[in-house]
Amino acid sequence: MTAMPRFRGLKSLAISPPSLRDENRKTLRVVLPALLFALIALAGAAGAQEPLRIVFIAYENPDQLVENVEPVIDYLEGRLGGEVEHFAATDYAAVVEALRHGSADVGFMGPLQYVMARRQAGAYPILGEIYNGSATYVARIFVRKDSGTKTLADLEGKTIAFVDPISSSGYMYPLDAFKSAGLIRTRADADTFFKRVYFAGGDEQAIRAVLNRFVDAAGVGQFAFGLLRGGERDQVVHVAESRPIPSHCVVVRKDLDAGRVDALRDALLALNEGPNHGLLEHLYGVDGYVRVDASTYAEVEDIARQYDFIPASGSPAP
Amino acid sequence: MPRRYRSLLQPTRLAALALAAVASALAWSRADAHVVPPERLHPVTESYRRMGFLLSLNPVLWNEVGRDATLIADGLEAVEPDGGRLYRSSVASLLDAAITATGGSGPIPAAERRATARDVFHLSTGAVIDKLDAHLALARARLDEYGRASLELGEARALWAAFEPALQAIDAGAYREHGRRWLELTSALGTPGVLGAGAVAPDRETFEREAARLMAFLDATFRAEDAAAVPERVFRVSPALLPVTPAAAAAPGLLPPGSEINKQLPRPRQVLNMAVRGVDEAETPLVALGDMAFDSPEIFGEPARSLGMSCNTCHNKGVTNPRFFIPGLSVRPGGLDVSSSFFAPHAANGHFDPVDIPDLRGIRFTGPYGRNGRFASLREFTRNVIVNEFNGPEPEAMLLDGLVAYMLEFDFLPNAALAPDGKLTDAAAPAARRGEEIFHRPFAAMGGRSCASCHVPGDHFLDRRRHDVGTVGGAEAGSRDRALDTPTLLSAAFTAPYFHDGSAPTLRAVSGHFNDFYGLGLSGPELDDLTAYVETVGGGAQGYEDTVFTLASELEEFSFFLSTYELLKARGENELLDVTFKTIAFEVQAHKWDVQDEGRLPVLDRLTEIMVEAYEARRRGDLAAVDARVAEYRALYEDHAEVLQ
Repeated sequence: MTAMPRFRGLKSLAISPPSLRDENRKTLRVVLPALLFALIALAGAAGAQEPLRIVFIAYENPDQLVENVEPVIDYLEGRLGGEVEHFAATDYAAVVEALRHGSADVGFMGPLQYVMARRQAGAYPILGEIYNGSATYVARIFVRKDSGTKTLADLEGKTIAFVDPISSSGYMYPLDAFKSAGLIRTRADADTFFKRVYFAGGDEQAIRAVLNRFVDAAGVGQFAFGLLRGGERDQVVHVAESRPIPSHCVVVRKDLDAGRVDALRDALLALNEGPNHGLLEHLYGVDGYVRVDASTYAEVEDIARQYDFIPASGSPAP
Repeated sequence: MPRRYRSLLQPTRLAALALAAVASALAWSRADAHVVPPERLHPVTESYRRMGFLLSLNPVLWNEVGRDATLIADGLEAVEPDGGRLYRSSVASLLDAAITATGGSGPIPAAERRATARDVFHLSTGAVIDKLDAHLALARARLDEYGRASLELGEARALWAAFEPALQAIDAGAYREHGRRWLELTSALGTPGVLGAGAVAPDRETFEREAARLMAFLDATFRAEDAAAVPERVFRVSPALLPVTPAAAAAPGLLPPGSEINKQLPRPRQVLNMAVRGVDEAETPLVALGDMAFDSPEIFGEPARSLGMSCNTCHNKGVTNPRFFIPGLSVRPGGLDVSSSFFAPHAANGHFDPVDIPDLRGIRFTGPYGRNGRFASLREFTRNVIVNEFNGPEPEAMLLDGLVAYMLEFDFLPNAALAPDGKLTDAAAPAARRGEEIFHRPFAAMGGRSCASCHVPGDHFLDRRRHDVGTVGGAEAGSRDRALDTPTLLSAAFTAPYFHDGSAPTLRAVSGHFNDFYGLGLSGPELDDLTAYVETVGGGAQGYEDTVFTLASELEEFSFFLSTYELLKARGENELLDVTFKTIAFEVQAHKWDVQDEGRLPVLDRLTEIMVEAYEARRRGDLAAVDARVAEYRALYEDHAEVLQ
């Protein structure tokens, strides 16, 4: 169960691999005071060079995250030559909200959340994360090794645990893997293909549900496997994986000054190598960044539309 | 007052299910021999599981039980103030009575101990269930506020983990059924979506139905009238004796939360005399046999075997494991009560007397053995550890010979500051030189003796005698049970804490103790100098390995283990062959996730399989197949030794 007081999960909120970050997006906690503060600050702000405001998504302890990223903030202030403010949200909706209302200029989010929020937020992605050497990751369908399950087709009439109804690697892409295998066509098909579909609330909860034989399969991000211990890992295996999912992204609000966007992008790209590379440790432990634009997420948007996460009539990606 | 507290202390019968459930609820995070991250539990869940374990021991450390009860009470009080206060005061009065009766930690009559343990545990079970119930109710009440409902359900789910190991061990079907129930509950929360897009409304009907079923099960199984008592035998049961399901069989090792049996990194640097001399290890099979046995859980009995514990767990690389800790059995990290009821109930001494894990460096020079020097022979001491401390079967003569041969190779760290006669060299600092004078200074308060009288520099800084130095609490006034064997000071700078029970955290504290105990009248600066001297004597080159990547060296060591094959085969030592194959298989599995390139995992899995196949072939007497498997292991290892890092 994903829960606010998370007693299990990753060792540090600051190094959550991307697929694991979906799980806590839905919890809403301390962001409101921070948002309020930011809004008030915005209302009272004036002058040519307002501070750049960054909202980070926190997967565990927001206060700790705010502290952890401070070296990055110092670096950005040095690079950009102006004040940088930051706060943490525990909920992607809050990130989207902050970008929409202009209380934040920059935010971090997952691919599905980005495409779902694109129109409302009026924001666009500038950088994608490189994690484990890759700008993409995959979702996988895990089963117990001793289950005899060899293919996705074997899971017809069985139970499956996904992570959350709004999750890239923990729902939509696993569904898409079943679609690619010709087993389902729509989200609704899943309800008839499987005996029962559960949402476990987190990657770890979902993969443990398979390990402990609560369900027959789990559709989770690839990094969920790493949350199991050695002896546990030997008991589960994946029988399929999704097409590549673009990694989490850095998005900016649509009317942020283009010059500031370029400066921010350059500053973050400069972390890919050189003396400040170690700062990435504070930015979710990514290996670096890669340039992206809305087209990088066109396929995500397309899939999201097929599964009714966004309206079929929605405007195409710019 | 909640109804459920009324009948708590009535003596009642116990259903078989509840019995086993409670017994296994004494548990128990999984413990692997290898480095694994600790399971992260809700504080109340952690306290409940640990308390169950503590209450199963003899003696029971009532004060530690009280600490866990306080945490549970805090947790309950936060959601149910009346229930929390009632639980707190009820447990407190039970514990007060027990503590008064024992004077702290002494023995009380067995029946009384078990009755108190039973009542405390049952009260605590009720408290955890009440807290879980309260959070479920809060989630139910706030279903329309997704964030809040999610938070409350998360609390409840984390508390359910208090009962999971029990259920998993005794009723796999119920464990799975209720595991699915929690998935129903999380699914029923729905989702607020992203700014409304993709929102799914909560399913109130499902939530209420599943929550009610869950509570009914908890009440019936863990809190039923029939389950209100925990019989004596539950608390005497060791985890290994519990009914075992396939799931439990895969994870039989259970220790209470807060346990630490992982080895430290970096590892202590082991100095093997033969290795320093450049001896070809392939030609010292008896030492290899001992090395294997030293790393093998197979030579112990339950529960140590299932926990994956070996000599090396505590005496890591023949030195110490300063992190080792088991609640209820350790008083501080690096120590263990080896005569408790947990590891070898038949040899329990009934009182809590944990000892600091001794460093085995230079052990061939440090007899007699045991903190009180009760064994003259290292071989006899080692046998006692296997049989009477860790419940192992009587070891074969050759196995004991091997263990002794291996340990006889353990050297002290080389120390440039120390001359062969035990005097400091020019490499020693001035403070240490001043301390050397104090060390040799006769004190009237010690009957004209000096520190050096017992820690004889010319004889490895010991005198092979027993002395009462005021560090042991005796059985009674005037008793003669306070004497301890003089320990060496060599390599001691790396083995804090000190004294037989680890009660002195630093060498400075040791100096301070002797100054106070004997009334030596040394000044602060003199004590600093004396400490500098002991630190210099106890120092040495490179106490720890310079890497934390150990897989390659471990695999090399497993090859060394297998170098005994020809000898054991020629001598018809079938049991030792079996132990060797099983130990290598276990060790490769335990270390395989250290591999930096996970693409190599299949090689490591194959190495394991080969050893399992060799074991099976040996069991059915197919010696040609055993030969073939051993050859295959060696070839596969040789082919991949370079890349298995």
